[in-house]
Amino acid sequence: MALDAGPLLAIDNLRTYFYSRAKRAFIRSVDGVSLGVAHGETLGIVGESGSGKSVTALSAAGLVTAGPGVISGRIDLHSNGTRRNLLEGLENYARFTEQDGRVMAVEKDERGWRKHSDTLMAGVRGKEIAMIFQNPRSALNPYSTIGKQLVETIRLHTNFKGEREAKERAIHWLERVRIDSPGLRFDNFPFGLSGGMCQRAMIAMALSAEPSLLIADEPTTGLDATIQSRIVDLLAQLKTETGITTLLISHDISVIQRLSDRIAVMYGGTVVETGRAAEVLAPQATARHPYTAALLASIPSAETIRRKSYLQAIEGEVLDTIEVPRGCRFYGRCNRVTDAIRENCAGIEPPLAEIAPGHKVRCWLYPAAGKA
Amino acid sequence: MSRTILEVTDLRKDYSQRRGLISMLTGQGRVIPAVDGVSFYLRENETVGLVGESGCGKTTIGRTVLRLTDPSSGRIVFDGRDITKMSRAELRPLRREMQMIFQDLDAGLNPRMRVRNILREALTVHERPGDAEIAGRIRELLEQVSLKESKLANFPSELSGGEKRRVGIARVLAVRPRLIVADEPTSALDISIQAQVVNLLRDLQKNLGLTYLFISHDLPVVELVSQKVAVMYLGRIVEMGLAENIAHQPRHPYTGVLWSSLADKQTTEVTRRVTNVTVERERRTWGVFDFEQPASGCRFAPRCPLYKDKGRPAVCTDPASEPQLRDVGHGHVVACHFA
Repeated sequence: MALDAGPLLAIDNLRTYFYSRAKRAFIRSVDGVSLGVAHGETLGIVGESGSGKSVTALSAAGLVTAGPGVISGRIDLHSNGTRRNLLEGLENYARFTEQDGRVMAVEKDERGWRKHSDTLMAGVRGKEIAMIFQNPRSALNPYSTIGKQLVETIRLHTNFKGEREAKERAIHWLERVRIDSPGLRFDNFPFGLSGGMCQRAMIAMALSAEPSLLIADEPTTGLDATIQSRIVDLLAQLKTETGITTLLISHDISVIQRLSDRIAVMYGGTVVETGRAAEVLAPQATARHPYTAALLASIPSAETIRRKSYLQAIEGEVLDTIEVPRGCRFYGRCNRVTDAIRENCAGIEPPLAEIAPGHKVRCWLYPAAGKA
Repeated sequence: MSRTILEVTDLRKDYSQRRGLISMLTGQGRVIPAVDGVSFYLRENETVGLVGESGCGKTTIGRTVLRLTDPSSGRIVFDGRDITKMSRAELRPLRREMQMIFQDLDAGLNPRMRVRNILREALTVHERPGDAEIAGRIRELLEQVSLKESKLANFPSELSGGEKRRVGIARVLAVRPRLIVADEPTSALDISIQAQVVNLLRDLQKNLGLTYLFISHDLPVVELVSQKVAVMYLGRIVEMGLAENIAHQPRHPYTGVLWSSLADKQTTEVTRRVTNVTVERERRTWGVFDFEQPASGCRFAPRCPLYKDKGRPAVCTDPASEPQLRDVGHGHVVACHFA
C-alpha cells in the first residue's frame, strides 16, 4: 500500500450548510470537517442522525446541490498519479459573510455552481468514486434488469466496451458478490430480488467501475439482522480481495468496528474523535471523547444484561446543528465536565487535538487541547 | 407466582393474496399463513420478547392478540375472558387495558393537534373527567415519561424523535393499560435515545406493574428487558424459554444463527458468548428463503446448518413430520428434531 503518496481522499475544513425556511436559520450539517482516507484503508464514520456523516460523504461525491450546500473547504482526490481538488474554483460561485468565525449569510449562484461541479465531477463520480446507499432498491432502476444496469456501468467506465465482454464482466461481478446462479440473476429485475440480493447487486455495480474510492453510506441499515451480517461478511471479503479504499458510514458501531481500519466519530457536524479503530473502540480505553464513551456505554453489554441493570443513556437530545452552541457542541449532554474546564467547555469550541500518535480528540479534558 | 394475563392458543392468521385474472374470477388466491399456530402466555408484570426476521409474523401476532386484526383461528384469552370472537362493542371497555406502542413514531400523533390536545383526547376516550382532573393527569403523564411541560404547546412536527416517542408512550399510559404490546419501540430512534427509552419502559413497568409483549429485532435489548423470549421463524415459534437460556444456550439452530449474526458483526465479547459450534460452519452455505413457499417438513431445513451437518436426514423434509414444540426442561421449548 502506497501510504507515502498521501491520502487518496483528503477533506479539509469542509462546510456544507442547508437552509431551514421554518427556522430561518442555517442547518450546519457539516461544519469544518477535515478527514483523510489513505490508499487501501477503510475509514468508518460513525455518528447519530444529524451528525453530518452522510452529508460529508455526499459532499465528497458532489451530490449536494440544493440550498447553500458546500460552501467552503477542499476535497483532494489523489488517484492514478494525479491530484485534483473536487471543489476547485467553486468558491467563485458562493460567497459568504462571516462574523466571529460564523457564517452569517451565503450568496450562491446555484446554477453556475452545479454546472461547474458537474465538470469537476465528470469522470470522477461513478468512475473514481462509486457509492452504495442505504436503500438498494431505490438506487436501482426498477424498469431495467440487473444485468443491463451492470453492463451499462461497465461499458461506460471500463475498457470492456463490447456488448459480450461487458456481459461476461457483469456476470463475473455478480459472482464476486456471491449471488447464486449469476447467469440467471442477470436477467432479473430489482423487484424480483430480495433486499440482501439488491444490496449485493448494488455493490457489484459500484465495484464494476473499478473505482479508486468506494463510499458505502449505511450499507446494512434497513436489512434484516441475519442479512446484515452477511453483507458485512461480503464487504469484509471484498476488502481483502480487492483492497479497495472505502469511506464507510454507519450509525451501527458493530458494523464500523468490524470493517474499519480507522474511525471518525462525528457529532453535531464536526469530527469529535478520530484514530485507529482498535484504539478508539478498545474496551479498556481510558482516553476517548466523552461522547464516544457514552455512545459505547449506551449499548447493552453482556455485563448490563447479566445484572439486568439500567442502560447508561446519554441525557438530552441529539444536537440539531441549527442552534450550534458557542463552546463544545457536546457540552449540554456531557457528564465529564469538571470545574477546571467548565469555562472552556461552555465558551470555546475545543480543537481536535492529538492525544496520542494518530489519535485525535476534540475535548478540553485533554491537556493537548490547550496547546493546539 | 403472578397470574396469567394473556393466553394465546394455536393462533393462526392467514392473509390471502389474489393475483391475476383466474384467482379474481374463481375467488381463490394463494393463502399466506403469516402466523401459523402460535401458543404462548404472558404473566402479569412480566416481559416476553418476540424476536425474528422481518416477515416472520411478529407484528401480526402483536396486532392480533389485541384484536386490531382478527385471527383466522385459535383462541386469545385476556385476563380470563375469551376475546377471540368478541364484538367491537364488547371489546371497547377492554381496549383501555391493552394498548400498543407502534414502531412508527408518528403513529397516533395527529399532526394538526398540539401535544396537550393529543393527551387530552386520550384521557377522554374512555371516561369524562373534569378539566381540573385532566390537567392533573396530564402533569402526571408528563412526569411519568419525563417530558417538559413546555412541550405541551408543540405540534408533533416540532418534536424530536425521542420526544415523539415519549408523547406516544404518554398517550398509551393515559388509559391506564395493563398489557402493552411494544412493537419495535426503539428501532426508529438514535442510539443515544434508544437507551433512554429502554430505561423509561423498564421504569414504567416497575412503577405501574405493566406487562409487555416486546417485539424487536434488537437482540441485546430484548435479552435485557425480557424474562422470556420467543423466537419466530416463518410464522411459527421455533424456540421459547428464559431470556438468558435463549441467548446463551440456544437449542434451535435458527436461534443460534440469529444470535451469531449479531455477534459476527462485531469482534467483541459477544463472539465468545456464542457457544453453538455449528453456527460458525453455517455461515458459508446459507441460502435465501421464500416466505410464500415454506419447505415441507421443517421450514428452517433449507437454511439449517444442522440439517447439512447431519447429512440431510429425511425426517427434516418429511411433510408429515413438521417438528413440534417440545419441552427440553425448565419450560424451555424447542421445535427441532435434533435439539
